[in-house]
Amino acid sequence: MAEATLSGSASAAKAATRQAVQNINAPLWRNAVFVAPYLFLFVTLLVVPLFWSIWLSLHKADAFGIGRFVGVDNYFRLFRDKIFIQSVGNTFYFVFLTVPALALIGLMLALALNRKTRSAAALRAVYFSSSVLSVTIVTLIWRIVFIGNFGLPATIYGWFGATAPAFLSDPKLTMIGIAIATVWWCIGLPMMLFLSALQQVPQEIYEAAALDNASRWRTLWHITLPSIRRTFVLVIIIEIVLQFQLFGQARLMTQGGPNNVSKPIVLYIYEAAFTKWDLGLGAAASEILFILIMLAAMAQYFISRRRGEEG
Amino acid sequence: MTHSLRKYMLAAASALALAVATPALAATELTVQRFFGACDAEFGTNTDVSKAVGECGIITSLINKFNADNPDVHVIVTTVEWPGYDQLTAQFAAGDPPDIVTVHHSVLGDYQSKGLLMPLDDLLKTVGVSPSDFTDASLSGVTKDGKIHGLPIDNWTMLFHVNLDLFKKAGLVNADGTPKLPASVDELMAQAKQFKEKTGKPYFVQNLANEVALYTRNLYTYLFQQDSDFFADPKQVKMNTAEAKKVLEMYKAIYDNDDTTKDLDYAASINAFLAGEGGVHLNGTWVIGDYTASSETSGTALNAGGYAVYPYPQLFSGKKAQYADGHSWAVSQKDRTPEEEAAIGKFLKFFNDNDYEWSRTGHLPAVKAVLESDAFKKLPHRDTIAPIATLGTPLPSTVQRQFAIQDIIGQEMNAAITGQKEIDAALADMESRINELLANI
Repeated sequence: MAEATLSGSASAAKAATRQAVQNINAPLWRNAVFVAPYLFLFVTLLVVPLFWSIWLSLHKADAFGIGRFVGVDNYFRLFRDKIFIQSVGNTFYFVFLTVPALALIGLMLALALNRKTRSAAALRAVYFSSSVLSVTIVTLIWRIVFIGNFGLPATIYGWFGATAPAFLSDPKLTMIGIAIATVWWCIGLPMMLFLSALQQVPQEIYEAAALDNASRWRTLWHITLPSIRRTFVLVIIIEIVLQFQLFGQARLMTQGGPNNVSKPIVLYIYEAAFTKWDLGLGAAASEILFILIMLAAMAQYFISRRRGEEG
Repeated sequence: MTHSLRKYMLAAASALALAVATPALAATELTVQRFFGACDAEFGTNTDVSKAVGECGIITSLINKFNADNPDVHVIVTTVEWPGYDQLTAQFAAGDPPDIVTVHHSVLGDYQSKGLLMPLDDLLKTVGVSPSDFTDASLSGVTKDGKIHGLPIDNWTMLFHVNLDLFKKAGLVNADGTPKLPASVDELMAQAKQFKEKTGKPYFVQNLANEVALYTRNLYTYLFQQDSDFFADPKQVKMNTAEAKKVLEMYKAIYDNDDTTKDLDYAASINAFLAGEGGVHLNGTWVIGDYTASSETSGTALNAGGYAVYPYPQLFSGKKAQYADGHSWAVSQKDRTPEEEAAIGKFLKFFNDNDYEWSRTGHLPAVKAVLESDAFKKLPHRDTIAPIATLGTPLPSTVQRQFAIQDIIGQEMNAAITGQKEIDAALADMESRINELLANI
């Protein structure tokens, strides 16, 4: 009797389970437990600060308190400020200098080092090693390299009796100097992404190409590059987002100078918030940066997706 | 088994109780934040202050000595990159400021106006430091709204640091061996030209790259010398003036004539001067100790013919003056125990008592008795720089955000002097940017 009851309740439970499983569209709320820790951090560290900074940007605020509500006045002040407009231009220029260079040099390094020899492994480590350095060390190294009179270009130009270009003070060269240091520092990530993509291209396709007597150039152009197209897009998007946020190198190498030609948006935000204590203005500038990064990344994404669909 | 477990737990609880109780007996901890650089490799354990040289060496040794002399107080030092105010502002905003922090007299007002600094009048009284001990310049530098908001440790200004060997080669030395310094803008230009012709080197060693402070201090000095009251209203600056234009034109001519080093940052300019790359280094009082030490070391460029140092020459016909500021120890506003307040009092008194040691850096002492003492007067070069005690002129203390203003002036002057911008345009932008900043405080 007891057994019968037990088996009866067990079958009822089974039926209930079956019913639950059958409704595949019903949300399984217990799974929320798995994403809850991330969701909690995401909301508290990203979503709340994002809306908080939008709120701040509508106020006359400093680091010690939110003052009066000023509406969109901070945004008007930004667009009237020549230095802010200049810093937006500088940031685009920097992205233009670094992102293609990082993608192309990263790809070339990956192509050159995508082999199973010991020297290739060693060189991969060497090229990646700069990425582990902090921005302080990187800028210290490059400041010493670029230093007038005693630096590397000064020494080399000195052998020929010429004057070295002043990468830290010539207004035409400072952004290029910062870009060189940045490419040297950041080249590891794109190279590694390209390497991992290259290693996932099926060998059979290369074998088929070899059987068809395809040249190396043709193989690269028609097999390798189309196969890693998605990684290329990924690298471009990641680098656009990263390089738009240029700060440390400009702050430490040139302080945004001379004449603000190397001042990126993030340095402008920093100076507004911490040096001028104008937190509302800094928050407004950071919203503009947020929109710019989002637009650039989205444009890149949609363009590449459309091309992908056409292809 | 259960018995031994209980024993272990009791032992652990006792140990914990002891650990919690110990801090009550331990030394009172004070957090001190300062600039002046890091030199732990050389002076990290030195407590003999007389052996230390330079700002970093002396302040490190002084704090070491304070810790050694006061076992009941333990000072934990954080060294920040000069000037460290961005970090300090963030610390205040986060409610976690250091107890004691180095602040320029010109910056005290920014923090004091927000109620972030502790008025020190009562605390200083309890340790026997009287406001009348301080020099007038120091006392007025740290007094905001009628109360003392920092212990002044010095007054400083910019100076002409001279490589006498090159001056002799240039024929710019008087009969008594002192350097011939200019008395007008035209004379400066003529002497710089002569200097370059005779030595092949530029007259000035300046840090024009990556720099804002030097430009600003130079401009203030020569505006004072023309009686320009550019901050008559602390909320509104007048920079687009004939006086400011004269100063910028002078520095631009120096730049265009190659009478100055170019493309050097601060550290590189010091190296260049120590290597004998030019005649006059425009730098502050704080390097006198280091440069004197270099001039006493055989084989150095400054040892070849000697080192001399003077206030900025009077180039204009107005008031005899030059820009000056000072350093102080400020105390953050916090709830503290009487022990902690007493420890802070001890620390401030210690620095007040040792102001002579600090004045060996080259700064003017903040304590009147030290300034008038024979020991101070006997320090190298103090005779030639003595006039700065009366020449030194700060900006009006009611002008806020002086470091943010310095950034703007430095950027615009750099653009004008290096030819990236017309002088008139730079001055107009300078004025409007500063006024925009001040209007939004």
